[in-house]
Amino acid sequence: MASRYDRAITVFSPDGHLFQVEYAQEAVKKGSTAVGIRGTDIVVLGVEKKSVAKLQDERTVRKICALDDHVCMAFAGLTADARVVINRARVECQSHKLTVEDPVTVEYITRFIATLKQKYTQSNGRRPFGISALIVGFDDDGIPRLYQTDPSGTYHAWKANAIGRSAKTVREFLEKNYTEDAIANDNEAIKLAIRALLEVVQSGGKNIELAVIRRNQPLKMFSAKEIELQVTEIEKEKEEAEKKKSKKAT
Amino acid sequence: MRRSGAPRTGPDAGAAAMAATFFGEVVRAPCRAGTEDEEEEEEEGKRETAEDREVRRQLARKREVRLFRRQTKTSLEVSLLEKYPCSKFIIAIGNNAVAFLSSFVMNSGVWEEVGCANLWNEWCRTTDTTHLSPAEAFCVFYHLKSSPSVVLCQCSCYVAEDQQYQWLEKVFGSCARKNMQVTILTCRHVTDYKTSESTSSLHSPFLKALKTQNFKEPPCCSLLEQPNIVHDLPAAGVLSYCQVWRIPAVLYLCYTDVMKLDLITVEAFKPILSSRSLKGLVKNIPQSTEILKKLMTTNEIQSNIYT
Repeated sequence: MASRYDRAITVFSPDGHLFQVEYAQEAVKKGSTAVGIRGTDIVVLGVEKKSVAKLQDERTVRKICALDDHVCMAFAGLTADARVVINRARVECQSHKLTVEDPVTVEYITRFIATLKQKYTQSNGRRPFGISALIVGFDDDGIPRLYQTDPSGTYHAWKANAIGRSAKTVREFLEKNYTEDAIANDNEAIKLAIRALLEVVQSGGKNIELAVIRRNQPLKMFSAKEIELQVTEIEKEKEEAEKKKSKKAT
Repeated sequence: MRRSGAPRTGPDAGAAAMAATFFGEVVRAPCRAGTEDEEEEEEEGKRETAEDREVRRQLARKREVRLFRRQTKTSLEVSLLEKYPCSKFIIAIGNNAVAFLSSFVMNSGVWEEVGCANLWNEWCRTTDTTHLSPAEAFCVFYHLKSSPSVVLCQCSCYVAEDQQYQWLEKVFGSCARKNMQVTILTCRHVTDYKTSESTSSLHSPFLKALKTQNFKEPPCCSLLEQPNIVHDLPAAGVLSYCQVWRIPAVLYLCYTDVMKLDLITVEAFKPILSSRSLKGLVKNIPQSTEILKKLMTTNEIQSNIYT
């Protein structure tokens, strides 16, 4: 039945599905995993780095992009669609600053991106954007925010979320491990993001990219060394926890 | 094939149905009674020229399934299982199933190639069917040197509907095989899986089994529920053949959301390693995982479409 209702985006199927939008969500699952965590004074974005071809310039394969000084986003899905959305969002951030002399709020720019995505689900001849985005940042009031958008144009605020391949596994991990203790301080929030990614990333720390925004500070991308340090700390903690468990058992 | 719009004269014209279009022209609506026009149709449609016959013959030759030995370049005179009778026949169809057998089964023990099936259809990437390089041989058969009654088939090509019967004939032959157990491994996209529960709760990849009546062992995973059906060579071909000839056979179908070569999908086949047919064949699992990882990295096509 599906094959007769996925030709034109503007057509509903008899049971109320917009198949092109649902297929776009499948395209998102083809991108590598991205995880976002909202701490008390920090927001963290972690992504699984895609393996880069030998002759390719690594700096041009980026999943985490700044939209403004205080907002950044990570995406999963079609690279080209992401580029278009990010460009439009960046222009909108500056246009907003020039018009109302205030930087955008995280919710505003998320709503802008979501509205843009929704437009493409209602025009004929155009297909939806095949990306989901995690948008993080701090508003002027100093409150950290994390939003997620998807190809249908919906957006929601989250405490922690994951998108892309194996997102379900990561989300389940976060549901179990996102506690008040886990985000007690900045370092713990960063470790939680890395631990969540290590659940699904093969070959460990060297395939992880991390970015954080702290209150009133610009986006900071972690270097490979810093990530390795965190990963070793996490592994040490894991070992100690296991030793404690075996001691308790005996 | 009647040409539309051709003027009709004679006694038939009056009996045909007429219809008017929006533009006011009157056209002949096709009449479903179909009785008047049979003579004409037979004349037109069935007039097959020698050229048509030649084209058909060439096409049949192109789509022929050929089984031969690569080492000697000679074709097999009898069916494969007649020449190499076996008690265990394991078939992997599709790249993930093939990768599973390559890493977990074929690296333990020495396997000798006993035959190779050469076929062409629209899904094939090469057009030259006569000079296939070793890397492109689609369907290769092996037997275990230390125990020649175990035969393995690695089929990484798509066998089209019209070729499936030929494949079965050339492999199984037309007589029943006694004392043989068949295990088939293949993959399917999870969107093909029909279930009443919500698809968001499905944890793909997952394994489902379908077996013939004579297969008495408990399968390594839950059985495939109705109304799901299995397609192509694994089902229409091999499993049906085994059911008809009362050969115990089981098909392990992995539903996955990644159809290309993928580590997690291949590892989803692991529960099968505990089955009776594969247990004795797998020796070194950690080494197999290493080999699988290497296979993944060498086969990774650098695609920048998704990030």
